[in-house]
Amino acid sequence: MATHAPVAHPGGIAGHIHQEPQGFVRRYVFSIDHKIIGIQYLITGFVFFILAGLLAETIRTQLLNANGGFVSPETYNEVYSIHGSAMVWLVVIPILTGGFGNLVFPLQIGARDVAFPWLNLLSFWIFPVAGLMLFSSFLMGAPTAGWTEYPPVSLQGAAGTSMWAAAIFLVGVSSTLTGINFVVTLLKMRAPGMTFTRMPLFCWAQFATAPLLMIATTALAAALAALFIERQFGVPFFDPTKGGSAVLWQHMFWFYSHPAVYIMILPAFGIISEVLPTFARKPIFGYKLIAFSSMAIALAGFMVWAHHMFTSGLAPYLQLPFMILTFAIGVPTGIKIFSWTATLWGGKIHLTTAMLFAIGFIALFTCGGITGIFLAAVPYDLDVHGTYFVVAHFHYVLVGGSMMGVFAGMYYWFPKMSGRLLNETLGKIHFWLFFIGFNGTFLPMHWLGVEGMPRWVASYDPQFEFWNRFASISSYVMALGMLVFFYNVISSARFGKRSGPNPWNGRTLEWMIPSPPHYYNFKNIPTVYGLPYDFSHPLPYKGLEDELNDSPPAAAGAH
Amino acid sequence: MAVASVPHGGVHVEQPDQLYNEIRDLRLQGFLLALISDCVLFSSFVFAYLYLRNSGQGWPPPGIPRLDVPFAAWNSVLLFGSGATMHYALENHKHNNFMKYMLFLIATIILGAGFLGGQGYEYTHLIVSEHITWSGSGIFGASFFTLTGMHGFHVFVGVIFLTVLLMQSAAGVYTREKFFGITAGTLYWHFVDVIWVLLFSIFYLI
Repeated sequence: MATHAPVAHPGGIAGHIHQEPQGFVRRYVFSIDHKIIGIQYLITGFVFFILAGLLAETIRTQLLNANGGFVSPETYNEVYSIHGSAMVWLVVIPILTGGFGNLVFPLQIGARDVAFPWLNLLSFWIFPVAGLMLFSSFLMGAPTAGWTEYPPVSLQGAAGTSMWAAAIFLVGVSSTLTGINFVVTLLKMRAPGMTFTRMPLFCWAQFATAPLLMIATTALAAALAALFIERQFGVPFFDPTKGGSAVLWQHMFWFYSHPAVYIMILPAFGIISEVLPTFARKPIFGYKLIAFSSMAIALAGFMVWAHHMFTSGLAPYLQLPFMILTFAIGVPTGIKIFSWTATLWGGKIHLTTAMLFAIGFIALFTCGGITGIFLAAVPYDLDVHGTYFVVAHFHYVLVGGSMMGVFAGMYYWFPKMSGRLLNETLGKIHFWLFFIGFNGTFLPMHWLGVEGMPRWVASYDPQFEFWNRFASISSYVMALGMLVFFYNVISSARFGKRSGPNPWNGRTLEWMIPSPPHYYNFKNIPTVYGLPYDFSHPLPYKGLEDELNDSPPAAAGAH
Repeated sequence: MAVASVPHGGVHVEQPDQLYNEIRDLRLQGFLLALISDCVLFSSFVFAYLYLRNSGQGWPPPGIPRLDVPFAAWNSVLLFGSGATMHYALENHKHNNFMKYMLFLIATIILGAGFLGGQGYEYTHLIVSEHITWSGSGIFGASFFTLTGMHGFHVFVGVIFLTVLLMQSAAGVYTREKFFGITAGTLYWHFVDVIWVLLFSIFYLI
């Protein structure tokens, strides 16, 4: 934390300056700079993405044939459990909040860093440790009850299940700290004039996500702690034979994990809301609607958890309100979809790779949202619960939604991270391979599910073989697309075309400073006069005049 | 972190106190948010307890004796009293009565430790005489010892927190203007108090 020494800092706390650390380790490994920490989150998250992706390919390879045969059924159970856990907690959440959140929103609100840089360092370093713990549970008998780990199955699993609980608990601690950090930063460190109604929409998305990280994650921590205590010390919470209740786990787990679904999608909404107006050269349609609907989604997210439990023996008088509330959450989400579509309407659309992913996001997320409405209806849910229809639904939301958002963000903000552009041709190959592979993999799962193919099975009825094989082969196409992406990132970081400060003619604050930005972000904290999205107007900032000349920032002479 | 302490030409240098105030506000907000998420942790377990309690076998479950309510009530008085003394400690610090502040702080620590002692006595009684344990007494043992134990741990941390404050104050760390640590300690102590009101009501009164 900052000491109380007298300090040169125009604009109070928003502008307080700390010394730039020297040496590779302090600068890039144990860094307190939010931009470096953001990049660290992205790199670590993508490493876990590769591991979890290999597990996904293991699943699909197993399902090539009706009688399986690639791995044993026991191993198969471990593989899908770790695949799900890793994708949710080690990939999507850290990349979207820790990665893009850290990297972008302090720049967008005109802050020099987050409120608690050292806390930020701590929350990052908890994350890879927890990730290694999660994957190491393979060595001691990984959990086998899926990413939700319902008791009593999870109570009987091998020691790896306790390791799993401990690892997720740690990720939760990391998320909670990040959430606290983000809320305080967004409340206290905005540049002068950056009122809430002038914040870029990505900041709004992070602002809606941060309380979810803070509150929902703690609720999950309680559930995980209880599971851990029960497994290690035999304290009965969930074991029905000792008076506990297995449904209690579902309540505690979903009270977190439903809001977590919005942790995984709201920042992606934010990314899309930045990419669309920039490449359509039009102000975003319904700025306030998009901003407030994020808050509405975050709030309503806490009231719908029991829709995951329609088949768990919930009393009928409870099913109805949860069904209606779940339908209701479709309204703010629909508002966003309409606003984005209206933004595109009549715009001068530049089909860059980022824009392609953003448009792909709208298409796929809408599909996932519609099947979500299906599943919210109790009678339909009773029919398809535990089938591949559910698998199709959440992959459309999480891959077609969150991951497409992540890719859009990568292509959009890569210049800000590295000073270089990602290769557009490779980017488009990545997009088409991924988009086609994705639909080939998950679209057939809808009808597999409707026809009754259950989830979590290592072998299945031969009548489902054709579409499973189709899905598996498509998943290899997706993986090929990912290879192109990783090649692109690695080669472009080194040899890519130099981007300059503002390659996309963006109008938010992060584009007004050099790429990559100086340690202090801004030489002088700018003043903000209006929304960043009015493309026909002059830029609404003052005090950015000498940001782009290359002399070190004003107070950097201090060290 | 280290703050660049050399004013640079042309850059406006603000009063250190103003910066201190801003940093204090920042930390206070962060600390409050941390307490809120801690509240959620307790709420989850409280929810779990109420859920298990209402899952249909009557309460207390067969074989579990009534808790010693009067003893727990007297013990709670210690904790609530310490909330009051902590309040006066902070007030006296604000009004620059150093001696009174120290006395109230010491009283708070003693009362807090007393509460922990009482809880220890209660636990010993339950475990040794009534044979109620954490893992062997069904959902009663599970929820009672987990929740009160979690709270006891928070009180324990609080006692250490306040002891550190006491030593820092004796060493003159805090001044009339700069006392973020004391504010945080007071907040934390009140938080622990409020949680106990809830736990006492749901375990002993209803």
